[in-house]
Amino acid sequence: MHWLSKKKNLIIMMTPTLTIYTVYIVAAVFIAVYYSLTKYSGIGKPVFYGIKNYIRVFEDRFFWISLKNTFIVLVISLIFLTVLGFLIANIFRIKRRGNNLSKALVFSPAIISPIIVGIIWLYILDPEIGLLNSALQSLGLESWMQMWIGGTVLSPYMYAIVFIWRQLGYITTIFVAGLNMIPGEVYESAEIDGASGWQRMFHITIPMVRGTITIVMLLVITGVFKIFEFIVQLTNGGPNHLSESLVTYSYNITFLNGEYGYGMALAMITFVITLILSALYNFATRDKEGA
Amino acid sequence: MTNSVGSKGARLVLSVILAVITIVTMIPLIWMFLMSFKTNSEIYSTPLSLPTGFSLENYSRALETLNIGRMYVNTAYVALMAVGIALVISFMSSYALSRMAFRNLNLQKALNQYLLLGLMISPFILLFPMYHISVVTSTYNTFWALIMPYIATQLSFNNLLFVNFFKGIPVEVEEAALIDGCNLPQMCWHVIAPMTKPVIFTVVIFNILYVWNEYPLASILIRKPELYTLSMGASMFKGAYSVDNAGIVAASVLIIVPQLIFYGFFQRYIVDGMTAGAVKG
Repeated sequence: MHWLSKKKNLIIMMTPTLTIYTVYIVAAVFIAVYYSLTKYSGIGKPVFYGIKNYIRVFEDRFFWISLKNTFIVLVISLIFLTVLGFLIANIFRIKRRGNNLSKALVFSPAIISPIIVGIIWLYILDPEIGLLNSALQSLGLESWMQMWIGGTVLSPYMYAIVFIWRQLGYITTIFVAGLNMIPGEVYESAEIDGASGWQRMFHITIPMVRGTITIVMLLVITGVFKIFEFIVQLTNGGPNHLSESLVTYSYNITFLNGEYGYGMALAMITFVITLILSALYNFATRDKEGA
Repeated sequence: MTNSVGSKGARLVLSVILAVITIVTMIPLIWMFLMSFKTNSEIYSTPLSLPTGFSLENYSRALETLNIGRMYVNTAYVALMAVGIALVISFMSSYALSRMAFRNLNLQKALNQYLLLGLMISPFILLFPMYHISVVTSTYNTFWALIMPYIATQLSFNNLLFVNFFKGIPVEVEEAALIDGCNLPQMCWHVIAPMTKPVIFTVVIFNILYVWNEYPLASILIRKPELYTLSMGASMFKGAYSVDNAGIVAASVLIIVPQLIFYGFFQRYIVDGMTAGAVKG
């Protein structure tokens, strides 16, 4: 290989990727950090502002509301996606006709444009013309009818439901891959030893997919912090910023209010929270495996 | 397979549970499809009713109000350029990083790590900087304002898949080609690329899906309606139709159905791409 690896060849092969990546990703991160330290409204020059934007974040009532909303989505999604994904993956292990079709259909929401996902759910959750309230009414359950979206309470819970709907097939697929890595002999010898189905589940399956569970949890954490489009469609964070997530709040501050400096500080903090959560989770699970 | 669930009764129950989950997942999509045949007054007065007929009126109105054809052409153009360029340049750099000899091995490893860092970066901190870069390079409000960031955001993922695959190719293949007097472009094009077809396919399909669905960047880099991509155009449905819900639904179905067909054809590659990105370890 050495005579193809002349310096000139290496430079030709590496330069396009490195240039575009360095400008549009790495330099962009530094631009984001720089603007988060300024006050800038798009007109004139940005004014250096030190860490004032970051201090303002912690005094901003709407930041804490967005944080709370994001955590509601995160906790519900973590619980349901992990548990349901794991259970459904186990059902898929029993070979039967229609499994592949089922898998394909349950996975399909993951590929639909997230903006369209928002439109689809708008016509389910809308309090006036949505499927959900209409169905409750026709069943005579008027008292169950709610302001699913557009109110001040339920919106983040609905984001979680939409997110779970979109991700369930994907998470299930990852669990299926994890389950398939468990060698069949392990189960066979457990069966010979007379282990019951439940015993096998708790003493073989769950311990052996622990790595997969870690991956799934990290995917859910990073996924929740990328939810954007369907919130824009469902509520756009309204009324009055009460149903924002961290991501929509920083977007709206940046691009609708034109407070670029403050918006970037919000975005940076959101990003750092994701990194901390992922690192904490990684750390916690590594600790257990060592024990 | 495993008999972890023994009795026939238990199997039946599990089959029913699976069927229910599948149907519940499909309800939102089926509902959209049914709604697209209802009139606006039906949607308002009797939201729960089934359509009275299968009139295509909503669809023709959707096609008149919005230039969905144009949105498809725009998306296809942006995807072709972004995915094509990202494919070629990441193929080249991954080949260099995995198969070519750097004098400094640590530099090779460091560059690979550097490219993988991108997988961690949240796209939302990049939005304003990318807008800023598009203004500085005077590409704002042109297709290139989208194409360049779309290339950049795909590079880390492509690099991950290509490098992993190239590392598994036996050296003998390349040695034989070298003895036959093969040069670097010939090596990439005639020897490595044919072997890499499945990975190339996964990368291309996955990148196309990304560009097709991407919204946050499109929403800040493109202002001219005639340049709208599908996701960007779809986000304007509510405004464009104001009270025409039937029109919004029909327009959405015109985006969902081709997407589901695309998924039907390339399911394996899409699922591969999405799980490969996840299980990178």
